[in-house]
Amino acid sequence: MGTGRGRFYRKGQVPPVSELKSKIIEALDEAEFVLGWTATGSGAAAPARFHNAGEAEDAVFDSTCVHNLAVQLPRLKDKTVGIVAKSCDARSIVQLAAEREVDLERVKLIAVDCPGMIDVKSIRRSFGFGASIEDDGTSLRIASAEAEREEFIVAKCRGCEDRDGGAGDPGNHPLREKFYSMSAVERRAFWRDHYSRCIRCYACREACPMCFCRDVCIMQTRDPHWIGGGVNSAEAEMMQLIRVNHLAGRCSGCGECERACPVGIPLMLLIDEQNRVIQEMFGYRAGIDPEAKPPLLSFNIKGDIWEEE
Amino acid sequence: MKLIGFLCNWCSYAGADMAGTSRIQQPGDLHIVRMPCTGRINPLLILKAFQEGADGVLVSGCHPGDCHYNDGNYYARRRLELLARMLPAFGIASERFQYTWVSASEGARWAQVVDDFTERVRSLQ
Repeated sequence: MGTGRGRFYRKGQVPPVSELKSKIIEALDEAEFVLGWTATGSGAAAPARFHNAGEAEDAVFDSTCVHNLAVQLPRLKDKTVGIVAKSCDARSIVQLAAEREVDLERVKLIAVDCPGMIDVKSIRRSFGFGASIEDDGTSLRIASAEAEREEFIVAKCRGCEDRDGGAGDPGNHPLREKFYSMSAVERRAFWRDHYSRCIRCYACREACPMCFCRDVCIMQTRDPHWIGGGVNSAEAEMMQLIRVNHLAGRCSGCGECERACPVGIPLMLLIDEQNRVIQEMFGYRAGIDPEAKPPLLSFNIKGDIWEEE
Repeated sequence: MKLIGFLCNWCSYAGADMAGTSRIQQPGDLHIVRMPCTGRINPLLILKAFQEGADGVLVSGCHPGDCHYNDGNYYARRRLELLARMLPAFGIASERFQYTWVSASEGARWAQVVDDFTERVRSLQ
């Protein structure tokens, strides 16, 4: 039994970003390539693979490296690879290890201290696409003017427990209060309204590190016929019910589904709630201890925790 | 009003049968689906029922400890409780879902469960 995430990520023991390139080159001794980020002309970093020291020169880590690169690991199972990971990404890797989708011996983890990621999309919405974004992890300048950094941070980073300035209450979705002030009927209408925009691109599934089924996904099969082929709010609702169910006790709350959604459906409202309920019922959080017993694959004959309340 | 009941074959389905052969009067809104075990009940079956327009879903199986397959209902208990707590987030009133345990000899209790559940959902309509 490990000490959980501390085995892979501990504050103050992570290398400074300036050492990133040498860490990547070091990892390449054993790894076939390293998953990391590279700068792009658009001002936001993009995921990249570094195969040699020359390519590693392009590696960056800044507050636009929001992607969870662990999503690639299940399909790289037969390779030894390196990966640059933030604390939330590390939790996904631990959960993948718990499900035997990742062999921790074959993953060279390069942990980076994360200052909280900047929500480039929302900045562009407010300031226009061309606005320059400068951020050093503590102060943010948009279009050469000082901006309140915490206001432009990605939703999931606000409640982060691992960064300085994080609220330490993961799962506190910005819409949570408004959502739970509604009646059940209104909440259903709220979802149907959001789902009506779904274009069924499956980005939520593809961006999720835990959606690695090699069977045909039941969101797409017609046998068994869980879901129809239509693009409408009813089918989109079923899609999300399937997704939430299949992530029960497995989701580490990395927020990639909501970030990847091109039409802005607040998917983490559901996922956060489920993670909260599972912690309340079983005292369990995914992605902490790779040896922990998953709560829905076990039971307690004498009675369960919630019954003793 | 349409209510769906997912019943385990070994206890609750037999219990419902018992209620019938004992000629106990029950409301007729509940449509029973016979399942091999509550452990077979995928929570998505329940959600699908709601999605297709069910007004309420009732799940019943063997009492914990009495499962025909030893531990099916222990797994079910965790899944069903999780689902019950998640329904408000999906926008389904928690009164519309109930899971309970009824044995093959509890015909009268089954009739009472159906009575209470039907009444509970009807008061929401």
